[in-house]
Amino acid sequence: MADNQKKGNAFTNNPIVKAVGTQKIVVVLVLIILLAFFSAASSAFRQYSTILSIMDYTYYLAFLGIGVTFCLITGGVDLSIGTGLVCYGLIGGYLITYNKMPVIVGILVTLLVGVLMGAINGIIVSMGGLPPFLATLCTMMIARGLGSLATGGLSVNWPPTAAENGWARMLFKIEVGGVKLPIGFIWVLLFAIIMSIVLNKTKPGRYIIAIGSNKEATRLSGVNVVKYQTLAYIFSGFFTGLAAIAYANTFQALAPGTGAGMELNAIGGAIIGGTSMSGGMGSIAGTILGVFIMSVLQTGLPNIGLQANYQQIIIGMVLILAVLVDVLKNKKLT
Amino acid sequence: MKKKLLSVLLCAAMVATMAAGCGSKEEPAAAPAPETKEDTQEPAADAGEEKTDEATGSLHFEIVSKGFQHQYWQAVLKGAEQKAAELGVTMEFVGPNSESDIADQVQMLNNAVNKKPAAIGLAALDTKSALDGIQAAMDAGIPIVGFDSGVPEAPEGAVYANCATDNYAAGELAAEKTYEAIKDRIANASGTVRIGVLSQDATGESLISRGLGFIDKIAELIVADGKTVTVVGNQKFVDDSKCEKTDGADVEIEVLVPASVDSALSATDCQTLLNKADTIAIYGSNQHSAEAMVTGDENLGKFGTGEDNVIAVGFDSGAVIKAAVKDGTFLGAITQAPVAMGEAVIQTLYDIANGKTVSDIDTGCQWYTAENMDDPEIAQNLYD
Repeated sequence: MADNQKKGNAFTNNPIVKAVGTQKIVVVLVLIILLAFFSAASSAFRQYSTILSIMDYTYYLAFLGIGVTFCLITGGVDLSIGTGLVCYGLIGGYLITYNKMPVIVGILVTLLVGVLMGAINGIIVSMGGLPPFLATLCTMMIARGLGSLATGGLSVNWPPTAAENGWARMLFKIEVGGVKLPIGFIWVLLFAIIMSIVLNKTKPGRYIIAIGSNKEATRLSGVNVVKYQTLAYIFSGFFTGLAAIAYANTFQALAPGTGAGMELNAIGGAIIGGTSMSGGMGSIAGTILGVFIMSVLQTGLPNIGLQANYQQIIIGMVLILAVLVDVLKNKKLT
Repeated sequence: MKKKLLSVLLCAAMVATMAAGCGSKEEPAAAPAPETKEDTQEPAADAGEEKTDEATGSLHFEIVSKGFQHQYWQAVLKGAEQKAAELGVTMEFVGPNSESDIADQVQMLNNAVNKKPAAIGLAALDTKSALDGIQAAMDAGIPIVGFDSGVPEAPEGAVYANCATDNYAAGELAAEKTYEAIKDRIANASGTVRIGVLSQDATGESLISRGLGFIDKIAELIVADGKTVTVVGNQKFVDDSKCEKTDGADVEIEVLVPASVDSALSATDCQTLLNKADTIAIYGSNQHSAEAMVTGDENLGKFGTGEDNVIAVGFDSGAVIKAAVKDGTFLGAITQAPVAMGEAVIQTLYDIANGKTVSDIDTGCQWYTAENMDDPEIAQNLYD
């Protein structure tokens, strides 16, 4: 088996394939096939506005995905990002809409609350030693309740584009000469590149990967495991805050008590992109590609006339497939 | 040392989070759901005390609503508070976090019954789930008054009266107004045309009625003008609508319901409808769906009142929908009378407690457009 792995075949030995990674190439191919399929099946899909719709989905899922990739790489997970997104967005939005604070304050508070919740997650996991699944399941519920409490159960709308203080929406979509441009993607790319460098080229990033490969060995080699494990969850919290800002400024309305389930779309995107559920392996570029698969499915499936329930079933099956590939890959390595 | 650092960090984090949360909590006068937990710990002795209060005229009512997810409920609360103050009674107004939390609402109803109030106001998310609580109220001799969508299919004798919007009639009104705008297009159409209906869910009685009222009425109007019509999409609406389904009909009514309450999903549903070249009108049956129509249309820009536009009709208000009606993106929207409803509930509860006979009250609905939305009679029911 190991021998086979080393030899590989003509495809996996190709220098380009080696540099990019097999999984990413497969994901890009799947993405192209999906786009081709939806375009062939639905004339409605073959138009410019579809790109805008796919992008609307991609922004918040990509931010959630970037953050949670760090947790997954440490061998953990962050389930609180779905309800967290709604909670932080509600708190920030409430300050803007009801307390008439400047939008920038709302944005900063949203990010700050995200970072704090991330830190709490990280501390409970790294110092408290709770299994990440359990710890973040609890904070998922806390975030859900906190969001409702903060707004007194009210749903919150972030300011519309036409409003005096609607500039935040123009961070994601602007209109130039009657054409709407999805400029939010610039932010996604920017943060993806930064976090890719952080993950691969800096000490904290390398330590986070090392913790995921072998926590004990990393600790014994003198790395402050508690610190870097916590850092992974802080990243996740910060990016959940960013995702909240992206969601609130594309879809506007946030309702208390919602958000559960979004985390699975983001985690699914990361896993499709080649990040391992068992830690030690993953890439930001892969996550972005994986998230694209999710957003293309979310936008494409309704266009071929599938009702909401079928959409969920198909996305669930895609996730099973992705995890299955991950499991098989791990088997091969051992 | 490490432990100290940890506790300091944790405390700082918690205080900061709470401060962020509480700092923003000046305005809502509502009792948020978590507070009801504390209330349940009140000793049972209180109940006896309240009963004696009745004699002195200081009545206490429990109101179990559907939560405050939609600003509409803030207006109901406002009406209830005004009336309670006017009549000199006390009330506890509670509701679950979201309108999907049926189990939480059942728990709240049970708590309300345990507190033995003079009467209970109830807007049931799901009557069948609430049956035990309703029975307990009956056994304890506590009258129930339904509001909003009321308590349909409640056991005989439990519900004394309903103060509700006739949601079916409200849906019919939306259908009449929509049909006026698309009548000519249907008459002149060469192929099939499509009318979209967006519903937040297919479980709540009020949304089902609003959807069915719209579908049945518009189908009736279309058939009356000699065209054929069919309903497709969500099975619940397809099965329950009175409209006879025919293949290859002139008009197709398509009902879409998202898998969960998520603005992104509903916006996508709206885009899916707008993407179909034969869509001529879309109706969103509550604040959630109507707001998702506004965001969904942003990428396509098809809504409007012109010849080539898709006609959009909403329900309820809120800043986003009001702006869409004002600038002509929406043809118009239906508003209920939430303030009047809140007042009517308290008045009815009060009358029951004072031994008067009560009857159902239809709190009504209105059609508003850019032209009439500033009329005082309508403006009082529009909220931000």
